Amino acid sequence: MESDCLSLLPSVCKVLANPKLLLPDDTSLEKLLDWFRESMSQSYGKHIIPHQPSLLQFLLSVTTSQEMDPTVFSFALKLTGLLASKEDSFNLLEEKGMLQYMFEPDNWHKLDLWKNASVRCGWLQGLWNMLQHQQAMDFFCKRDLVKLVLYLQNDKSLFIASLTNQVLAHFLNSTMLSNDFESVAQNSPASTDWASVTTKVMIHMAKSLASEEQAVVLSGLRQLAVVLTQCREPLKEMLWTHVLEPLELLANLHDGSLTQHIMAVLQVSARSPLFIKPECRVEALMEAMLCSRNANTSVQCAALILQLENCPETLERKATNVLLHPLLFVTSCSLQPHGPDYDSLFEEQLTQRISCVPLITQSLSSIADLVCKSPLDDIPVRLITLSVISLLRICLGHHSTTLQKAGTYSHLIGCCKVQRCSLDVLGSLAACKENADTVHEALAVLLLYLQCPDVHATVLKKTHQAILKWFSICSPSTDLWKTVHHDLFPLLKKHVCDGRWEVRDSTLEFIMQLTATLKGNSKYVEALHDCGMVSVLFTSLSDVEGYVRASAVAALGETLTTTDLQLSTSLQEEAVKHLLTILTEDTDSFPRRAVMKVFTSWLKSTLVFTALDHTLSSVLSLGSSDFDWEVKVHTLELADVLMDSLLNCCPYSIHTFQSSDRTGIKQALNELMVLGLFDLLLKCLFECDRPVSEKACALLLKLQTFMRETFSAGHSDLTLEISGCSWSEEMLQRCYKKQQGNESNCMKNGDQVPDLPKKVGLFELLELLDLEDMQYISSLSSDHVINSPQSIMEDILFAAQQSEENVVDCY
Amino acid sequence: MPDIKVTPLGAGQDVGRSCILVSVGGKNIMLDCGMHMGYNDDRRFPDFSYITQNGRLTDFLDCVIISHFHLDHCGALPYMSEMVGYDGPIYMTHPTKAICPILLEDFRKITVDKKGETNFFTSQMIKDCMKKVVPLNLHQTVQVDDELEIKAYYAGHVLGAAMVLIKVGSESVVYTGDYNMTPDRHLGAAWIDKCRPDILISESTYATTIRDSKRCRERDFLKKVHETIERGGKVLIPVFALGRAQELCILLETFWERMNLKAPIYFSTGLTEKANHYYKLFITWTNQKIRKTFVQRNMFEFKHIKAFDRSYADNPGPMVVFATPGMLHAGQSLQIFKKWAGNEKNMVIMPGYCVQGTVGHKILNGQKKLEMEGRATLEVKLQVEYMSFSAHADAKGIMQLIRMAEPRNMLLVHGEAKKMEFLKDKIEQEFSISCYMPANGETTTVTTNPSVPVDISLNLLKREMALGGPLPDPKKPRTMHGTLIMKDSSLRLVSPEQALKELGLSEHQLRFTCRVHLQDPHSDSDTLSRIYSHLKSVLKGYAVQHLPDGTVMVESIVLKVSSSGEDPNLKVILLSWSYQDEELGSFLSSLLKKGLPSGL
Repeated sequence: MESDCLSLLPSVCKVLANPKLLLPDDTSLEKLLDWFRESMSQSYGKHIIPHQPSLLQFLLSVTTSQEMDPTVFSFALKLTGLLASKEDSFNLLEEKGMLQYMFEPDNWHKLDLWKNASVRCGWLQGLWNMLQHQQAMDFFCKRDLVKLVLYLQNDKSLFIASLTNQVLAHFLNSTMLSNDFESVAQNSPASTDWASVTTKVMIHMAKSLASEEQAVVLSGLRQLAVVLTQCREPLKEMLWTHVLEPLELLANLHDGSLTQHIMAVLQVSARSPLFIKPECRVEALMEAMLCSRNANTSVQCAALILQLENCPETLERKATNVLLHPLLFVTSCSLQPHGPDYDSLFEEQLTQRISCVPLITQSLSSIADLVCKSPLDDIPVRLITLSVISLLRICLGHHSTTLQKAGTYSHLIGCCKVQRCSLDVLGSLAACKENADTVHEALAVLLLYLQCPDVHATVLKKTHQAILKWFSICSPSTDLWKTVHHDLFPLLKKHVCDGRWEVRDSTLEFIMQLTATLKGNSKYVEALHDCGMVSVLFTSLSDVEGYVRASAVAALGETLTTTDLQLSTSLQEEAVKHLLTILTEDTDSFPRRAVMKVFTSWLKSTLVFTALDHTLSSVLSLGSSDFDWEVKVHTLELADVLMDSLLNCCPYSIHTFQSSDRTGIKQALNELMVLGLFDLLLKCLFECDRPVSEKACALLLKLQTFMRETFSAGHSDLTLEISGCSWSEEMLQRCYKKQQGNESNCMKNGDQVPDLPKKVGLFELLELLDLEDMQYISSLSSDHVINSPQSIMEDILFAAQQSEENVVDCY
Repeated sequence: MPDIKVTPLGAGQDVGRSCILVSVGGKNIMLDCGMHMGYNDDRRFPDFSYITQNGRLTDFLDCVIISHFHLDHCGALPYMSEMVGYDGPIYMTHPTKAICPILLEDFRKITVDKKGETNFFTSQMIKDCMKKVVPLNLHQTVQVDDELEIKAYYAGHVLGAAMVLIKVGSESVVYTGDYNMTPDRHLGAAWIDKCRPDILISESTYATTIRDSKRCRERDFLKKVHETIERGGKVLIPVFALGRAQELCILLETFWERMNLKAPIYFSTGLTEKANHYYKLFITWTNQKIRKTFVQRNMFEFKHIKAFDRSYADNPGPMVVFATPGMLHAGQSLQIFKKWAGNEKNMVIMPGYCVQGTVGHKILNGQKKLEMEGRATLEVKLQVEYMSFSAHADAKGIMQLIRMAEPRNMLLVHGEAKKMEFLKDKIEQEFSISCYMPANGETTTVTTNPSVPVDISLNLLKREMALGGPLPDPKKPRTMHGTLIMKDSSLRLVSPEQALKELGLSEHQLRFTCRVHLQDPHSDSDTLSRIYSHLKSVLKGYAVQHLPDGTVMVESIVLKVSSSGEDPNLKVILLSWSYQDEELGSFLSSLLKKGLPSGL
């Protein structure tokens, strides 16, 4: 524990205990609790109450005050629990009667505090904090606190009901830490209390499930799922025995609103030994849910069954059939004959839009998971793929005449939800080996989506993603390149001119990704250039939307790395000219960031970009004076690559110096200086945006290490002009401070600093700056919100001194 | 009965971050998706696991609606859509869609500034999220799907802020977001139809405040700036990129012009152009005065306000600088503050709220020594002023909106519990409607009484008209009889005859009969006459007839008399009636069972 904080704690406690003072905002109290939590986990935590009497005084004042604010009371409840989590403190608090007061709301001075949700939440949180040792458990049992916890299970606040589940699960689990339930029950009176409370909880859970009120059943199911997840054997089985009967009744009720919750319970039980015990009938319950009269329930259930790792084969097969049924039924594909009842069950729901869309999307998203997880033994992936393709056609209204039922599903035409979901699945299906010969069908429907004029922008984006996946598995064939040349590129050219920026941007992103995937392929590159895609990209550099210009920059950058640049110097020059214009004139930061990234990637590539080499000095200068901090960071990244390449520290290096070749190194350093790289680094070092100054500091340290390894002091002969530089003032201040030998930490305005020479050696300058110290300072604080416990306590104290509250507002 | 459920995940009795779930007519809508700047861990975002545990928000939510670009209303959006995963539609107005990514980028910068911060969205995620946004126009009804429709209304507050009406069938909810009922220097006042929603979800930031005139605050602001400039000091105004900054710029620009002041005013580099660009682009969203004068002069093209370069901070003499960010927690505003803090001639004016932990919050609370990085202490000698220019409706404004929209129920969010409590009582008293103020995580359920529209056949209406009475008036509902045909999800009220005809059915008359035994020593015809006289005297106003065929008729009820073969004094009265006269028939049978009065 920090001594500064401990010295502030008494005053903070006084402030909090005084209802007349202004309260800090609730985030301060939450963060203060974080600090207590951390402190309690350390060895000092045990002795905190004896050493900090102010804490006890605060809690005592809370028990006697008539005007306590609910926020502070809730805080006190949580704090009491935290303090009582250590046995010593627990005993002390119990002796003082604090625990009885705090955790038995009947004792409270102001009974209506309980009506406040934050107080109920604090009570539960405090209890949970406290239940860490046997004495706390005994206290919980003897005082019958479980009664209130169970009552809160149906609280109108979601947060409280959920917290209740956690507290109960924690309690049940804690009773089973060392012994099994039976032996615990026989050991001691305290253990008997535990056993009786545990039994009470189980009976309550069974009763909740049998309740006639749906809200109670729902909260019971939620609780059961949480408890089953967290508690161990043999409690799990005992609990299951209690709840099995009402659970079976619920499963056979086939109430759609309960499906997800019942399935969550079954899923948890299926991941435990309960699943393999026949008397637990987990499998039978799953089957009952699967055969529900409600198609939605069946499909949801099937999806969950198929997520199980060790699912029995028969159940898995049934679930797969159910899951695939909506898709296969709508697209008239048949997997295996089903009874007429089964078909009519789905038909009824699928022909109505309101039930059809969720049913199909549920089925589709689970199919994607299923196919990706493991190959389906007895279900032909090709059949599923063709079905998805048919569905995509139905959604466009392009179904073939052989699809008798397609007309019935006119409500699917233009349904974005189903389109997006189907495209996701189709993309995932590309990964299946069995689909190698479905490429043409898949690409055909995807192209159909690109052709369709009124497809939603988000659907187009999904189409692009799916095409990328299918292209990545395609074996290059003449047909494929024909498709790209004759069908795909003309459509992309059209989309780059779409009225919606979302479409233009996604298309350019797609061109970039496609090029990155296929740029090794000469046919693709040929098609790219022959179709005039490059000139389209140039045009997009002047798009009205910043996002689009940035994507055009990235796509152009990628495209130019595919060409044999020796032959296209003019193209290179044109591109560099355009990109420099963007860097100079674009008012949006995204395109400028993209330009810097492109330049960096070009420098990293093995290709030679002569046009860029000629303009590097301007690029660095423009980047260093950009308004946007991220452009500066990217400029520094470019500088990093440049340093590496010229100083022989990395794979992009174009020079190879022997370590003894000082002349070569000096030349390289000189070259970097002429380019303005050192000016950039020093300017960025004093930037107010931390990522910029940090990156610059790191690069200067790297340079310093290199210089130290290469030259002894004063032998680099490289001097920098510093007068007139924007950073000279800050540097001067810094050097002056250092010279003063940190006599005082206090920064004072108006302190006079001596002049530095107009020129200074690079080596000396780096040493003078004390970069290690700068890096250390910058690592000390980097939060946008200062969260040190001391700062929080100070804020609480200062807030209390205010006579009026600052008006709360949004931001 | 159908109901509407409202659950705040944020903004329930607090002003931290707004995120409210509404379930109406089987549709689930998320209203705003804000973040809390006071935390920099998981607590800054709403906990979406309460919505669905499987993480598939797309399956659960039908749409997300964002009211305006402030981060406590939209800051968690890229996290929700790109990191948790939501593919469905997100609605916001055009200006919000344009400005939202700028603020998100701004905040991302601050956050990635922090070391080890990984669980945060990237630039690409912000862009991908914005691609899911469907822009809204004011007063245009947008059909989310077959049943769900939304409509945006002007909310003032900031450029592009909107209130939204959500309708499913006849059930409706209005969500105000943040709004302002009084126009300011660049925006107009909020306005909404008399749409009578089932619930009006309103912000209540200033639930108990009747704010002093904005003119007073403006005068105070200008006075303070002027005084500082006069004594040669510098004024720092930390602002967020867009919003309040523009309002204050207009204010200073006009004042400088009027007073012919020469001290320079600077604005953080790069932001003026961008802000001006958006205000020009969305000029229709500003107030009437700006729209009018726009033709002659764009009020956002400032003569006195210039772009700032960080080297200017060291220039001697007075100046005013608007710098970002607004809470003095990083970047340029903090850097300038550090430079100027030690001089008592200078001043910092905080025009907005600062969360705990920021330098802005500390100095507003009166801290005079701040610990900066490396344990260096910064002495705060400059003057610190807090001047709230926020544009929220005050108590009067909220009541005014209720009068405008005439909701059936009221639900308060985005405010402090104590203040809400006060306003809640006031609303319930004045408007006699229920007012709710759920805490975060609490679900408020409001039962609705939806009206089901039914088509009525022309014949039936004509028949109704033929019966006389006033002409149909929607304000004066009246009962109408007919046969309701429910077919192919349509409902029609037609005359029984038409229903029979349409359905191809023939009519069957159903009659009830009963026998009543009566001791009456008279002939059958005399008994019948006695019965007639008795009924005539009891059933005044009913059509009672003695027919020549030896029967008595009361409405559709037929009465016949015969003697018992064994006892001539024991008469058997046969009653028969149709189902329409079921009540009358039962009454007659019980009346006759009591016998006939002797005086007849």
